[in-house]
Amino acid sequence: MKYKILFITSFLLASFTLVAQNLVTGTITDETGQPIPGVNILEKKTTNGAVSDFDGNYSIKVNDNATLVFSYVGFKTQELVVDGKNTISIVLITDDSQLEEVVLIGYGSVKRDKITSSISSVKGEEIAKMVASNPAEALQGKAAGVQVLSSGGNPGASPQILIRGITSNNGSQPLIVVDGVMLPSGSSLNFINPGDIENFQILKDASASAIYGSRASNGVVLITTKRGKEGKAVINLDISHGTQQLEKINMAGADEYMRVVNLRRTNDGNQPLYDPNDITTDTDWWNEVIENYAPITNVNLRASGGSEKINYAGSLSFFDQQSNYTKGWYQKVTGRFNVDFKISDKITLKQDLSPRMERYENTPGILYNLLRIDPLTDVYIPQSERIGRNSYSIYAASNNSVPNPVGTVARSFNETMFFGFFSNTQLDYDITPELTFSSQFGLNISQSGTDAFQPEYYTNPNQQNEINTVYRNTNQSLDYVLNNTLNFTKTINEKHYLNVLVGLLYDSQNYNYLNGSREGVPDSENPNLWYIDAATGEGLTVNNNESTDNILSGIFRAIYSFDNKYFITASTRVDQSSRFPKDNRTGVFSSTSFAWDVDSEEFFNSEVINNLRLKVGVGEVGNQNISRNGQFFSVGSDSYVFGDDRVVGSYLSQFGNTRLKWETVKDQNLGLEMSLFDNALDFSVEVYKRTSKDLLFNVELPNYTGIPGLVAQNVGSFESKGIDFQIGYNKTMGDFTLGLDLNVSTNESKAKALAPGNEQIFGQNRSDLGNRFIKITEEGETVGLFYGFKYDGIFQNQTEINSHSSENGALLQPNARPGDVRFVDANDDGLLNDDDLQVIGNPFADFYGGLTVNMGYKNFDLSMQWYGTYGNDVFNYPTTFLYSGVQDVNVIAGALDNVWSPTNTSAKYPRLTQQDRNGNYQRPSDLFIEDGSYLRLRNIQLGYNFKLKGFQKCRLYVSGQNLITITNYSGFDPEVAAGGNVINDFGIDYARNPITKTYLLGLNLTL
Amino acid sequence: MKKLVLLVLIFTVLLNISCNKEDFLDQPLTGRQQLDDYFSTEENSVNFVNGIYKKVNGESWWQANFPRQINDMATDDNWSGNTAQPRPDITGIAAYNVFPGSTYFNSFWENHYIGITRANISLERIPDVEMDEDLKLRLLGEAKFLRAFFYFDLVRSFGGVPIVTTYTELLQPEINDKVRSSVEEVYALIEEDLLGAIDGLPLRSEYASQDLGRATKGAAQSLLAKVYLTQEKWNQAQIMANNVMVSGEYSLEPDFANIYSVENHHGVESIFEIGYINNPLYNEIGGHLSITNGSRGDQGWGWGSPTSDLENAFLSEGDNIRLRSTIIKHGEPVYGDPDVTEFDGLPSENKSGRTNRKYYVPVAQRPVPYERGQIPLPYIHLRLADVMLMHAEAAYFNGDENTAKASLQLVRNRVQLTTNMSLTGTALRDAIWKERRLELALEQHRLFDLRRQKINGVPRIALLMGPNGSFVHYNTEVSTDPFETTNLNEPQEKGIFFDAGIHLLWPIPPEEIQLSRGNVVQNPGY
Repeated sequence: MKYKILFITSFLLASFTLVAQNLVTGTITDETGQPIPGVNILEKKTTNGAVSDFDGNYSIKVNDNATLVFSYVGFKTQELVVDGKNTISIVLITDDSQLEEVVLIGYGSVKRDKITSSISSVKGEEIAKMVASNPAEALQGKAAGVQVLSSGGNPGASPQILIRGITSNNGSQPLIVVDGVMLPSGSSLNFINPGDIENFQILKDASASAIYGSRASNGVVLITTKRGKEGKAVINLDISHGTQQLEKINMAGADEYMRVVNLRRTNDGNQPLYDPNDITTDTDWWNEVIENYAPITNVNLRASGGSEKINYAGSLSFFDQQSNYTKGWYQKVTGRFNVDFKISDKITLKQDLSPRMERYENTPGILYNLLRIDPLTDVYIPQSERIGRNSYSIYAASNNSVPNPVGTVARSFNETMFFGFFSNTQLDYDITPELTFSSQFGLNISQSGTDAFQPEYYTNPNQQNEINTVYRNTNQSLDYVLNNTLNFTKTINEKHYLNVLVGLLYDSQNYNYLNGSREGVPDSENPNLWYIDAATGEGLTVNNNESTDNILSGIFRAIYSFDNKYFITASTRVDQSSRFPKDNRTGVFSSTSFAWDVDSEEFFNSEVINNLRLKVGVGEVGNQNISRNGQFFSVGSDSYVFGDDRVVGSYLSQFGNTRLKWETVKDQNLGLEMSLFDNALDFSVEVYKRTSKDLLFNVELPNYTGIPGLVAQNVGSFESKGIDFQIGYNKTMGDFTLGLDLNVSTNESKAKALAPGNEQIFGQNRSDLGNRFIKITEEGETVGLFYGFKYDGIFQNQTEINSHSSENGALLQPNARPGDVRFVDANDDGLLNDDDLQVIGNPFADFYGGLTVNMGYKNFDLSMQWYGTYGNDVFNYPTTFLYSGVQDVNVIAGALDNVWSPTNTSAKYPRLTQQDRNGNYQRPSDLFIEDGSYLRLRNIQLGYNFKLKGFQKCRLYVSGQNLITITNYSGFDPEVAAGGNVINDFGIDYARNPITKTYLLGLNLTL
Repeated sequence: MKKLVLLVLIFTVLLNISCNKEDFLDQPLTGRQQLDDYFSTEENSVNFVNGIYKKVNGESWWQANFPRQINDMATDDNWSGNTAQPRPDITGIAAYNVFPGSTYFNSFWENHYIGITRANISLERIPDVEMDEDLKLRLLGEAKFLRAFFYFDLVRSFGGVPIVTTYTELLQPEINDKVRSSVEEVYALIEEDLLGAIDGLPLRSEYASQDLGRATKGAAQSLLAKVYLTQEKWNQAQIMANNVMVSGEYSLEPDFANIYSVENHHGVESIFEIGYINNPLYNEIGGHLSITNGSRGDQGWGWGSPTSDLENAFLSEGDNIRLRSTIIKHGEPVYGDPDVTEFDGLPSENKSGRTNRKYYVPVAQRPVPYERGQIPLPYIHLRLADVMLMHAEAAYFNGDENTAKASLQLVRNRVQLTTNMSLTGTALRDAIWKERRLELALEQHRLFDLRRQKINGVPRIALLMGPNGSFVHYNTEVSTDPFETTNLNEPQEKGIFFDAGIHLLWPIPPEEIQLSRGNVVQNPGY
């Protein structure tokens, strides 16, 4: 509001001040100090104008109180009040306004003003600010309606992207398209160098994504890589180095642990296990295993440029990230070379090559054991007991049979080497000025090999391996797309714009593997022998198979606009997929969308609103995201013994479904876009509803069917509704520039209808919580809710236990003692049993959003990226043992203050008991559910630009990632990692390695 | 330039043509046979039936073998035993502080139904296979025997369970709506299957040696005798047991110590046995119990250690021959293993310092590496002594005391115990029951015997367990056993929580209740 007043005031001043003539001169440069020729300089409200010369100089005669308007394609239009000055030099800022931007819409691109559907764009430079192995990390909080779900803090971890909630059950990952080449579903973005990304386009609604038909039901992420521009070579180097820190989790020391273990027994009337006088050990396992700091390095070198005939952009990058364990790291080297050849006036050939190499060692997943192991155990056995043991057998066996995490790390040997090659060839032939034929062949080949070694060791009878094994796993994948399209564009009478696209697309993905292992390497301490060739044991395995997924598609799309006011897009795609039985193979998906630029109307005359656009779209997309072999009933085999010989035993290994068919998602989108105050403020809001039908789902049938595993079925319909809201503000005030971008989204995904027999879909069976599923999806309800017993406080005395009874006085919890949990008899039938299970929490946020702040002052720039969620519940799984010591595992420091005892009656957690006859910790309940709202400073970066001879641009920066987290959640990280299945895995905190705090120092140099 | 354009166009067109649409879209299943093509040959049919057997003991230690071991722990013969590993899902069941969510109930249930479906597929598909008719009859008999075996295990563990007898019904949506059948309905199916199996199966002697381990007529008769006995159909039980005894197919192993031996596969007494061998090329081709039940001082996990109460039962009978081949005791030599003069029963980690001798492999006979899933010690589900004692028990309840005593005597003679031929009435009954305990101790029969055997209508398990149970009384008040009374990490009061209104059946796995949307209901009390 303040700025608005400022603006209006200056406007009024310009209009009413008295008039005097004056010559104004100056130089116009870009942000890097290069002069810009050809800039239009206009005296506002007049026809008086000038153009800058080759050196960016201009001169113009104006009134003293005139306002000059500087405009040039690709730069922001700026206005300056002359105010009697004779010299006005100005730096034009590259235009970040999305209005002039060319937007990829799949098999083509249009100016943003022709877009009728819902597309979010995120610029590459925003992505590159976040130093991470995976560019998706940087998308979090950047675009409305896009959620990035962490998969934990391990090096090389690749997060999941979720666009506008859930309409599909299997894999809610969007389709990723890199320069027009579709990646196989579930592909990690790790392979792409964030520095190579020109921009991300996120196609959120079906009218945008329908052109990707079959694979687009979870939205589409289009990635465009940087290409060369005509001009002299620009060389850019970006180096950053930093450290990652894992915040310590304090577990109970020996004294508290021992008291807990003894209380668990004495509270049951049994003997204590430990005598405090015998205890000499107090191991801090965190310190034994975790390195406080782990380095991270990123180096990026790029060059681009071009001539009339050839434009090129090349890059080489190196990324290295270590884990906070002594094992676990991730390295990658990526190269990219994009070349555009202008063969003739009519023919352009683009050739992109991107080789890449990744090497990594998996980070041991031992946080869980690290927390649970008792502090009374030494790390190593005494020297005197090591005689006759190899170096893998010197780790002490714990008292509570949790594997020694130091030993686990020491015995973990695996390394993966991955090679990938990405090639994209595109030929564009302008048959006539209106008609273009394009043929694209994209190829994505990768090969990876994993070497692993499992040494022989002895800890105790349950934790031992008598013979070592060496493993070698190799796999290869070959994916290609062949797209042939005809594109017709014509503008008639300057009013009618028409664009028609037809095309035929082949998409093929092939994967094969060959894995082998053998026992008995002669010397397990000599890594040079960790090869199958060296092994001499009898036990060996060899596995091999391959799979191919093919899709053949025809596409049609027409875009028509009238007078730049009315825009309409219609598309249809026909897909045939090899994943479905022959009769159900074909899917047809269509969409229509419409936009109206209200601001272009004659009647619309606003000084404040520069742009106003309304959009509405309806469309359908398909989903084939189900196991590629889901249609087949297959037979597997293993071994049995008759006589004294091995025989083959065969069995049904997969129960198929011959009626499997496409899942269809119908999408409705309504949007409003506005820019105000000379485009300083932009605003958009979109409302959507997405409804799936014939939902593909891997159903777990009752076990009495004897069907192994899950069965692929079309089970019903989900509906996802929500609002995406985005507001951006950009302003330059003298030396100060400010950019703010806030997006907030809400979403609710419900199961609209479920097929008979599947009215309840369960997920996440926990045997320790009574072999029950803790997630439920029921007709009419939000998908993937938490399910369990309702916790109703703690029984303070026997009277309370006695009064918790049925009508005829039978106790609901006859085994309860004071200090045990009171559970709610939900159906009020006088019995506490599985009929009383109910919804106890919702893992999905009321809203989530991100705030990006970019500020510049003279040579300094500061950017921040915040992300937060509000109103989501988290199933804090570690609380099932952190306050109970179930199975004598360690408890969190201070647990004794939080468990009920006759002297601590206000505690949240029940009394300590080994027998747990009341099932306090054997039932899923909302005792374990907490509010998971949080706000996190994902990234903060402070940069300083300075001059250095011979360089166009130099910038030094410091940056921090995940430095601040504001939350009431008591667990280790409210950003709960998601597993593969968003519905059933989301919102459960299984204590995966938390996100680390990262501190970085970096340097950008441009030559 | 025109030429270039032409070349590109030709190239593109060729590329498109070379992709044959049908070939492109028909992507077959690779690396696996498909069920509909599978039942085309005799060999495949045999292999599929072989696959059903795999589910008798499960693919690994935890699906079926170990749940049966837990059953033994829930009797007076075994402690939970392993006091080094806090595992309430095992020790709780053994102590009758039953945790319905125990993964072992669930995997036992799931394992058995997968076995049933394998049998159902065989019974539905094999009749249409062109093959030798005798072989076909045999394969169908094997499938029926195994299906009965699975349902019998289920009905004894859980009570009435859902019945699925065909493969076709799995393809119908109504399969989701099954409810539990009555106990009687389940037994009717078991009896029908076993009678069918008896008709179709050959005698053991009619099998070639490489087929030993397949279901036989004798195995089906023995199992049916047990099914009858469990239902107190004394007359039919006696007849069926007698059929086996007079078949001439089986005889008692002369040396009791030789029944369980890595060197005695498919011995003369063995009626239905799971063959185990050592061959590192194949996973899970050998046994597990030597490891899971072995002493923690002897590379074992220490589960299910024998009670001093069981030892006392042998001692009171003066039965040293079976005692020494049933229980190994800490600090003492191991009978039949000259390499061990002082056994390490590790009483600090093992409740009773005792280990099951029947699953013990003498050091010199152990394979290297000595690993779970590679122990060539067979597992015997049915043997002649079991049938003889069933015969004795059935005869007793038929009022045929002399026949009962004759069978009892056969079993006792082998271990050089005299039989009091003047026994009668409940004294005879108790003698037969005690003989079953001593003869079959630690072979995973005890729990079901104690549940079915009743005194004045009260199952014997209820007399042993519970606050007033004799076994609980012995441990808490009488026992002076140096190991059991000092390792209190498994409390002496084991069994005190037993409730006859609940614990004569195990809980239905809660997962199944949820997956069936509540159609499968829980047993009372859980």
